[in-house]
Amino acid sequence: MSAPLLELRGLSGGYPPVSVFRGVDMTVGNNEAVGLFGPNGHGKTTLLKTVAGLIDPRDGDIFFAGERLNTEGKMRPRTSRHLNYDLFRRRRISAESVVRQGLIYVMQGNLLFPEMTVEEVLDIAPQAARGRGGAAQMRDLVDAVFPRLRERWHSKIRFLSGGERQMVSIAAGLLALPRLLILDEPTLGLSPKLRIELCEAIAKIRAENVPLIVVDQNVEFLTSLVDRLYLFDHGAITREIDGSAMPSHEEVMTMMFGEAH
Amino acid sequence: MTLETFAFLLASGLVLGGLYALMASGLAVVWTTLGVFNFAHGAMIALGAYIAWQVTQYTTGGAGFLLGAGVSVAIMFCLGFAMHYVLVKPFELHANLVLLAVITTLAAASIMENAILLSWGPRDKQIAPPFTGNIEFLGTAIGIHDFVILAIALAALLALALFLRRTTAGRALRAVAQNREAAELMGFNVSRLVAMTIGLSAATAALAGVFVGSLRFISPTVGTDPLMKSLIVVILGGVTRFTSPIYAAFIVGLAEAFSAYFLVLYWAPAVLFAMMIIVLLIKPEGLFGRRTRTL
Ligand SMILES: Nc1ncnc2c1ncn2[C@@H]1O[C@H](COP(=O)(O)OP(=O)(O)OP(=O)(O)O)[C@@H](O)[C@H]1O
Ligand SMILES: [Mg+2]
Repeated sequence: MSAPLLELRGLSGGYPPVSVFRGVDMTVGNNEAVGLFGPNGHGKTTLLKTVAGLIDPRDGDIFFAGERLNTEGKMRPRTSRHLNYDLFRRRRISAESVVRQGLIYVMQGNLLFPEMTVEEVLDIAPQAARGRGGAAQMRDLVDAVFPRLRERWHSKIRFLSGGERQMVSIAAGLLALPRLLILDEPTLGLSPKLRIELCEAIAKIRAENVPLIVVDQNVEFLTSLVDRLYLFDHGAITREIDGSAMPSHEEVMTMMFGEAH
Repeated sequence: MTLETFAFLLASGLVLGGLYALMASGLAVVWTTLGVFNFAHGAMIALGAYIAWQVTQYTTGGAGFLLGAGVSVAIMFCLGFAMHYVLVKPFELHANLVLLAVITTLAAASIMENAILLSWGPRDKQIAPPFTGNIEFLGTAIGIHDFVILAIALAALLALALFLRRTTAGRALRAVAQNREAAELMGFNVSRLVAMTIGLSAATAALAGVFVGSLRFISPTVGTDPLMKSLIVVILGGVTRFTSPIYAAFIVGLAEAFSAYFLVLYWAPAVLFAMMIIVLLIKPEGLFGRRTRTL
């Protein structure tokens, strides 16, 4: 088997001094879609923000396409309360270089840029794609998957509905030509109708062979979409479920919380 | 009041408004991006004026004036760019960034003013206004130089607005101002974009300095009074849109010109502050503002 696209080895992190997740091992193969399921507030977003380079990892490594994204070793603790330690501290990972590598994270509940129009946001989105080909095909895909955006082309983001905003976020992520696209709760807080529309859009994106990590609270949607499912609980991965044996919602609940959930 | 007086006051109010618009939009751009008030903006105005004055010592006339303005704008852009890495970036992760930035920008202002004093001495200078002659405006003779200044100021503001709205680089600057984290996730070098924003702000300060220096005398503290006026402008107009401080700048400019005529000159600042307090009481987000700050 060739090396995986993304590999997390013993990754730990959080918001210092609070530790949110520890010892996370996770892989995403080339051309694979992986699901992450777990209760609210247990650190999925924190884990993915760390992978995206927004938060420094405390320990462990992130490999993407064979390259290490973080600097080696553990995060050193703050050594002095009095000196401006931040002046000397180097970030252990930078979102800019992670994104340049093609690892694109679509943030949960992303507010994007409230005073910019859809057109302006999608104009600056390909910035991260520098040097990678396929921009024209991706624009066609975005148009095919989110026809609604063309109708709101000149509206400011702050006037869009939650669902439309989510569509712009995902479209912007796609225009960055992702080698791996991370969608963090893309259907959170949407009406049932919009939810279905968005789930279909994500299925279409998957049909174009875009590798994915998807976090969602709906087991049926996740199991229909992904090749593998990770269960995430209290800041650690508790179980990995293979595609051949995708469980139902009830079964997942039993796995996570026992018989009496 | 005769028509001539009115025309004269209108013209000088508009010229003042153009100057304040330049300075205030420079301040507002940094404020919306960093959430930090740049107290060094006044010193940047002074430094910009001195650099242009130096250039006009070698080249005279209209060419010298324009060359001086160009050189000054270019140098001040680079200085503003560098200032981000010295004054703001080291404290970015600090919880008290805003307070620290007050201190570092005040320090920079003081350093710049004293550096000016050391390099150019205490004697006042003036940039010779290159465009002499008058034109008839509603029956009064108004200096061509005033019109040139107003035209360049408006053109510079228009160029800045078009840059921010239409170009990808300008849109990236606005993206950073509106949502820093999302901008990072789009792969932008946020630090460099913030530095560019401060550079642009310094460039507008330099241009304003050149104009002030050709209308009045230049001293190391020549920027202090305009800085205070632009602060009033920013508070009066709000910063929701790029244009909000510009409207407010013309209101302040005209109010200053007319109150200097109807009351005594020394009462003009009091009138402006009274206006500002009334606006703050009724509409704290500014005449043209909403509660959020954006670019
Ligand atoms: N900026 C922050 N600073 C400090 N703590 C935070 C911050 N953001 C989140 N937390 C804490 O980290 C923990 C994990 O939050 P996180 O958002 O990663 O969970 P999640 O699994 O994504 O939840 P959800 O399913 O609701 O999105 C929570 O206890 C939260 O309170
Ligand atoms: Mg989350």
